[in-house]
Amino acid sequence: MALFVAGLNHRVAPVALREQLAVEEDKLRELIRDVQASGVATETVLISTCNRVEVYAVADAPGEARAAVFRRLCQHRGVDPATLETLLYTHVDDEAIRHAFRVAASLDSMMVGEPQILGQVKDAFALAQSCETVGPTLHTLFSQAFAVAKKVRTETDIARHAVSVSFAAVELAKKIFDGLTGRAVLLVGAGKMSELAAKHLVDQGAFPIYVVNRTWSRAQELARALAATAVPFDELDTALGAVDIVVTSTGAPEPIIRRDLVQRVMSGRRGRPLFFNDIAVPRDVEESVETLDDVYCYDIDDLQQVVDANLRERAREAQRAEALVEREVAKFSARLRDVEVIPTIVSLRERLEGIRVAELRRALARVPDATAQTRDAMEALSSAIVNKILHVPVTKLRESSRAGVGRSWTTFVQELFGLGRST
Amino acid sequence: MICIGNMVKMLVVLSNLVLIGYACATGLALAYLVQREELVHRLATLATIAAWAVHSVALIVRGVETGRPPLASLSEAVSTAVWVVVLLEMLVERRWQMPALGAFVMPVVLILSLNASAMRPQIGEAFRGAWVWVHIALAMIGVAAFVLNFAGALMYLLQERQLKAKRPGTFYYRLPDLQTLDRLTYRTLALGFAFLTTGLILGAVWARTSWGSVLTFDPLASLSSLAWAIYAATLAGRAVAGLHGRRAAYFSVFGFTMLVLTLGAGLFLPGRHGS
Repeated sequence: MALFVAGLNHRVAPVALREQLAVEEDKLRELIRDVQASGVATETVLISTCNRVEVYAVADAPGEARAAVFRRLCQHRGVDPATLETLLYTHVDDEAIRHAFRVAASLDSMMVGEPQILGQVKDAFALAQSCETVGPTLHTLFSQAFAVAKKVRTETDIARHAVSVSFAAVELAKKIFDGLTGRAVLLVGAGKMSELAAKHLVDQGAFPIYVVNRTWSRAQELARALAATAVPFDELDTALGAVDIVVTSTGAPEPIIRRDLVQRVMSGRRGRPLFFNDIAVPRDVEESVETLDDVYCYDIDDLQQVVDANLRERAREAQRAEALVEREVAKFSARLRDVEVIPTIVSLRERLEGIRVAELRRALARVPDATAQTRDAMEALSSAIVNKILHVPVTKLRESSRAGVGRSWTTFVQELFGLGRST
Repeated sequence: MICIGNMVKMLVVLSNLVLIGYACATGLALAYLVQREELVHRLATLATIAAWAVHSVALIVRGVETGRPPLASLSEAVSTAVWVVVLLEMLVERRWQMPALGAFVMPVVLILSLNASAMRPQIGEAFRGAWVWVHIALAMIGVAAFVLNFAGALMYLLQERQLKAKRPGTFYYRLPDLQTLDRLTYRTLALGFAFLTTGLILGAVWARTSWGSVLTFDPLASLSSLAWAIYAATLAGRAVAGLHGRRAAYFSVFGFTMLVLTLGAGLFLPGRHGS
């Protein structure tokens, strides 16, 4: 019996093929129930997202089980199974554990560290549970994969830094101000980009929001959408004095925020920093503004540069995450092997315990006038014998599983004691 | 009666342990800044706590051995100041959630400890007395606060530089935001100034009652007055003239340089403060 994962992801298969293979929930249920019923696999979980289609299963013959799953999938979506054959990857045992951990921890994602994949894996697992195709092995595997994903998220900064320009603004603001709660934001220009940046800032507690736009009706419209206040264009100077963060995105051909204006505004701010996000091209904020003290002025290229640095940081953190996953795989692989011998150990124990209890009852029936003391002694004697007998086989079974030959031992022990059969 | 010879031997062992501990803590704190491994930070914190605990024991043993506060020579006083610095560092790091702080404070701690570990002559018997101990203790707490002030200013300058240059690097990712750093610099300045001022006044009053004059030349007294003047100007600027941020940080670095010179002068030039 082997644990394996087989499938394809964004690295090996083009989007055209991935979208063809993506299946809806109902079909997914039908598919895993069908596979389970056919008997090629004892446990099955199927993950289907826009970036990957993977089956995690426990089967005697992984190749057969893999073929069964993907044959059904291709049949359903009208894909020629031959096109898949060269693309599919298969990982067995430790490799499969590593793959599951990496996928859940978002290390195998197109954008490393993206948060959606963990939810998708959890959904797939829950779906399989509801179809009762999850046994002890996959249950242990996925529970641990979720724990590892959480650990990666908390112990590395893999998902910490902004990888979009609009979120980079939020992150920068947090390095200038001690928290964004109650920071006032001014939007100059009412474009989509500035709206997005404003939403991120509001999510972090920024308040109130002001909107300035040359077209008054558009200013009002955006103000309504963001629960903000529209301010007339000629009151831009006053508004600048009252806010901490400015997002500019007008279509003006010339800078509309000039150095002398900002200098005037800054003199009244008593050292409170002012942070400009100029996402307009051509730029709305005069370049020399950034030389003023306490003024931080980022144009679209600067923000992109921050994003690039963050991506490099992510890649560095991903390496640390890989090392962490590696340690977890080593730890887990021993545990999972135990999982395969534990059912045998339990049934062996139950079998001997059943014999002991039955024989004890029979023996006690023959001596009805035995004292409580005698009964206790017989009870203790029989228990001791059973435990002494069990000790070596149980130890051997555990050792065999750690040595990777648990499967043959469990079969042997089951045969020897007639376990797993209704005898 | 405890054998003095054993005590001296024990003190040497203890101060070596303290030095090793602070060296480890410094290395780990710097490694954490570069590596950002949570485990490294935990180890740095452990090393700091352990070294500080041994340091506490060493100070007590020295006090018991000599029957006076461990403040009678400049090296003793600096060692006590270092003890206060590490205490403040641990408190601020925890309270303000600034895991990177150690990387800026512990190197200073290590350098000061190396200086303090060298044996220096003590102040004369005639100078000892409750007033003098209080004078030295207050001044040393002031010095300790200024070490934190210096670390805060340094962090501010590094973070500000990265934000202005728009090229996020190690410091951008590891250091806290500018406003928090500016507040840390302000608070430690106020704290340090209050203690240093009281300490210096006590010293001057004592000098007047002992020598009848505060103006006799003494290198440590003169230089520390200069450092005090820089800090006074910075604090006044911050309080009333809107001095803040980068400029205030420059002043802090300048003041601390003067303070280090003061200690250096106290250690190497002859004067009333020992040597």
